[in-house]
Formats: sequence, C-alpha cells, structure tokens
Amino acid sequence: MVESNKDKLLKIAVQGEIVSPASTTYRAQWDGQPKLSVGMGGIKYNLKVGDPCFGWASGDHVEPGVTIRGKEKPVPSQCALALLACIGNEATVISGEAKGDKGVFTGRHAGSDDMVWFPDETIENLVIGDKVQIKAIGVGLKIKGYEDIRVNKCSPRLLESLGIEVKDGKLVVPVVKEVPGFLMGSGIGWGTMLEPVDYDIQTTDPKAVEKYGLETLRLGDVVCLKDQLCINGRGYYRGATTVGVIIHGASDYAGHGPGVNPILSTKDGRLDTKIDPDANTALYLGLRDKL
Amino acid sequence: MVKTNKDKLLEVALIGEITHPAVAPSYTTGWDEKPLLGLGRGGIVYNVKVGDPCFGWAWGEKVEPGASADGVGNDREKGAFRNLSCIGNMARVVGEKARARGKWGTVVGKVGYLPGRNHHVVIHFEEETLDELTIGDKVQVKAHGVGLKFTDYTGVRVISCSPRLVEAWGLGESGGKLIVPVAKVVPAHFVGQGAGGSPPEASNWDIQTQSPDAVSHVEDLRFGDIVMLEDILSAWGRGYYEGAVTVGVVSCGPTKALGQGIGVTSLLTCKEGEITAKVDPGANLKVLLGLGGGD
Repeated sequence: MVESNKDKLLKIAVQGEIVSPASTTYRAQWDGQPKLSVGMGGIKYNLKVGDPCFGWASGDHVEPGVTIRGKEKPVPSQCALALLACIGNEATVISGEAKGDKGVFTGRHAGSDDMVWFPDETIENLVIGDKVQIKAIGVGLKIKGYEDIRVNKCSPRLLESLGIEVKDGKLVVPVVKEVPGFLMGSGIGWGTMLEPVDYDIQTTDPKAVEKYGLETLRLGDVVCLKDQLCINGRGYYRGATTVGVIIHGASDYAGHGPGVNPILSTKDGRLDTKIDPDANTALYLGLRDKL
Repeated sequence: MVKTNKDKLLEVALIGEITHPAVAPSYTTGWDEKPLLGLGRGGIVYNVKVGDPCFGWAWGEKVEPGASADGVGNDREKGAFRNLSCIGNMARVVGEKARARGKWGTVVGKVGYLPGRNHHVVIHFEEETLDELTIGDKVQVKAHGVGLKFTDYTGVRVISCSPRLVEAWGLGESGGKLIVPVAKVVPAHFVGQGAGGSPPEASNWDIQTQSPDAVSHVEDLRFGDIVMLEDILSAWGRGYYEGAVTVGVVSCGPTKALGQGIGVTSLLTCKEGEITAKVDPGANLKVLLGLGGGD
C-alpha cells in the first residue's frame, strides 16, 4: 500500500443533473460512411463499467451507467463537477423517485460529461433531469515519496485499490494493456488543464485495433499509455508514462476511440506497469464481482 | 502536368474579417509547469511571413504569419469561410473605409482550436498592404479548390488546396505514384492535436513541440513549408491510420502547451500509398507561389 496525503484533502460537494442524449444528424465515419450513433448521455440501462468497449450496435463513445452534467456555468467543462469529482467518489441522488440512493463517480468524458454508476434498482427509478450530488475528494492527492507523479481524477479509494507495489524505487501499477502513445487522438492538446478532458485511443485504423489487441478493452480498464505525459494537458513526451482509466467506448469517427482519464503520469521514470487482466475499476470499486 | 478536374470547380466569394490577436485572459501553463503568456496568434503580425523560421520568436505561441481572418455572420456563414477557402486562393481587402481596399493577398494557412471555437484563415499580404491593414477590415476570398481531384490518382483526396498551388508545386509522376515535393517528413508519434477533428477542410494538425526529440526533428521548419505526416489520414476526419499519409502546409508556429505545436493545414491525403514524398527544402509557399517579404 502506498502512502498518500489523503488526510489533508478537502472533501467538497459538487452537483450535476442527468442529461438527455443528444442527436442531430448523421456524421461521417472515418471511411466516409454515415452513422447515427447511440450511447452518449442520459441513462444506459444495459451498459455498465466492466462491459466491453467495442461491439455495441450503432454505439459510439458509449458511456456506462448514467451521464450527468454540471449546470452552474454555461460550459460544463468549467463546472465544479468537471474539475473536482474523482473516480471512486460517492454519489447520491438528491431529487426524484430515487432520492437518497447511492452510486459511484466513474469518469469524465469531455464530449458529453460526467458518469456515475448506480445499482440496477436505482437506474430503473432515475429520470432525465434528476440531480446527483457527489462528495468530491481527490484533487491535490499526492503519493508520499513520489510527489513528481501527477495524480488526476483519482480518489484515495481508487488509489488504494489499484494494487500498486514498489519495486526498485518505482511504483508498479497493474494495467490490462500497454498502448503505444502514437495511438492517442482526440483530446490531445485540448487546453492546458488535465482534469476536465479525457482523450481517445484511436480506433480509426482496423489494422491497428487488431495489431494492438484493442478489441478486448473494457469500460473501466486501467491502461498504460507509453510516451504520453499528462501533467497539465495531454501530449507526447518520449519516455513518459501515463496510467489511465477507460471511461467511454470505441468510435468509428476518425481520430476517436475509447476515452481515457489519466490518473497517474510522470516523465521522470518512476512509474512502471505490469499486465493484469483484472485491472478494472468495476472490480476495484466493488461495482461487480467479476468481468 | 498532373491531370486534374480543375475545369469543373466552382469559384465562389467568401467574406471574412481581420481578427484581433487571440490572447488568453490570464496565464496558462506550459508543459514545463511554468506560467505562459504568448503572442503572435492571429490579428496582424507585421514582422513574420511565410518563409520565416517557426521557432525562436520571443514569447511567441502558435504564431501565425501575416494577417489572420475569420468568417463573419452566423455559424453556417463562418463555416463557409473556414471550410471552402483553399491554400493559394486570392483574397482582396474590401470595404469603402479600408485603406488597403483593393489590395490582394494569398491564403497560406488555416488554423483552428482557438479559444471560443474560433478559426483563422492565415493570409499573406505584401509589406505595404500589411501596414495599411487594420483589425476589422473585411477580406473577400475567391474560393477555388473544393472538389479538386487528380484524374489518374483517385485514391488521393485533395483538401483545401487550390489549382494554383497544384500547378506551382512541381508534382511528378512515377511508377503509378504521385511524387510530392515536401520540406520534411514527420512520423506519426510527433503528431498531436487535430486528431478527431472534422472536417479536415477546416483547422489543422499539430506537430507536438514539447518532447526534446520532437523539437530537434522540426526546429528548422519555416512558415509555409510543405510537410508530410506519416501514418496520418485526413479523409473524412483526422486520425491515425497505418500506411496513410497527409501532406500539409505549416500554418502556425510552436507552443509550450502539451500536445500542441506547429500547425499543419491538410492539402492531400491517401491511405494506400498513392503518394511518395520527394524531400526538397524549396517546398515552401513563399517559393512556390512567389510571395514577397520574409527571409
């Protein structure tokens, strides 16, 4: 178990509202074919953290569970929910039929917004427009002795469940897969903040999907991004290592694919990974018993 | 001369307006975690032109050479200015009050990812025109190039490239391939922002300029240089595709913001190897289009 400064973190209430899915017109896939996509926004009754990223009919950027959005500012990415909520934080429904029910914050998608896991019986009672409040804790989190490693969108609960070991002065984090940095696409370079934006493992090239074994990725998987630095913004840096969580599914749009919330990143070589097929937030946070 | 369908292209008028510089309201943070306030992005930059070096400008961040304009009106009208203007198109200063009224410039770049989802069409003007130009002046572009095709290379998609540039470029043909002069070839792992953007007609790719190996690969690039991005497809959106290439023009300078860098506006793309690069340091818009000023 790694030691952290978790006792010094502020715990803050942030709020969002369940948003409707949005749909306008066909959009061109990478190959020029039109697509009407489904799976972003709103309430997904049959898609949860731990489910596959690929294979959903007409699915694109599929978001597990319930999607909420901060409303106190016109731009959701500037809301407190987008900036302060961390994966593993406790969520509570505060309006509607499911008022009082508990869930867990599972990630942020800059394209549609913030995702929360709820149990099936709660999901059945939720209505688009219901409000959800989250006890946000995790901003400012640091690992003792490894302060150079940037921690992002990671609650103390998630950090402690990642199974991190220390070996030869390096933190070793279990991940399901190592992804080459050149596959990182949409979201790269967007702004100089880390918290409000995910970025995508590109699935434009079917050959690359097969070559790098991306088709087995699951929502909630913890992955390693090679040669990627995520400290303030996201980008290529030779030798850097980023560990992130898959928060949305694959895409047929050019430059898009499964979205990653970076949780640990450094260019200073003290972050290592090992392969573990069960490195998934659904197991870490007790959202399901097995994948 | 490589055969095209240029006789079938529509030539249409687009209206835009010279922008203010895009300056952030507060410091942002560079990849080195230091505060950042940059200049040179948009508006009128008097002393940087196509042919000048991309690197080395004091506090320069995403510097755009010459003058930058964006569309006016609603989003659809702005979209026309951004999507239909092509590199090499002529742009005329218009409006009764404009001192530079009637003077012509050339579209040399298109840059997106600006604050507020704005977009710049970068225009080269001669020195004396730049001196007369004011922020807010209207420019009308004779847009000519959308729909351009190479008759014998149907796998090559032409993007934002005027017939004027195609004819000045020195394109060759050999062994069933289109031979394209470029100043530099850039591998995909240096290519960053731009992925996921659509349509490729607007905006740009970025060559990331934070990692020291990336910087050393591109530090001699100049505004207006034509470059080839390997394993990058810009057909119906922008994304990584093994074996594809995108050829584009350097339209803005480097930055310290992670994942961003030297802007490349797409001109040609293919995914099955139809294009072969011929490295030529003279593959720059200043030379190809005979644009005055700069080094």
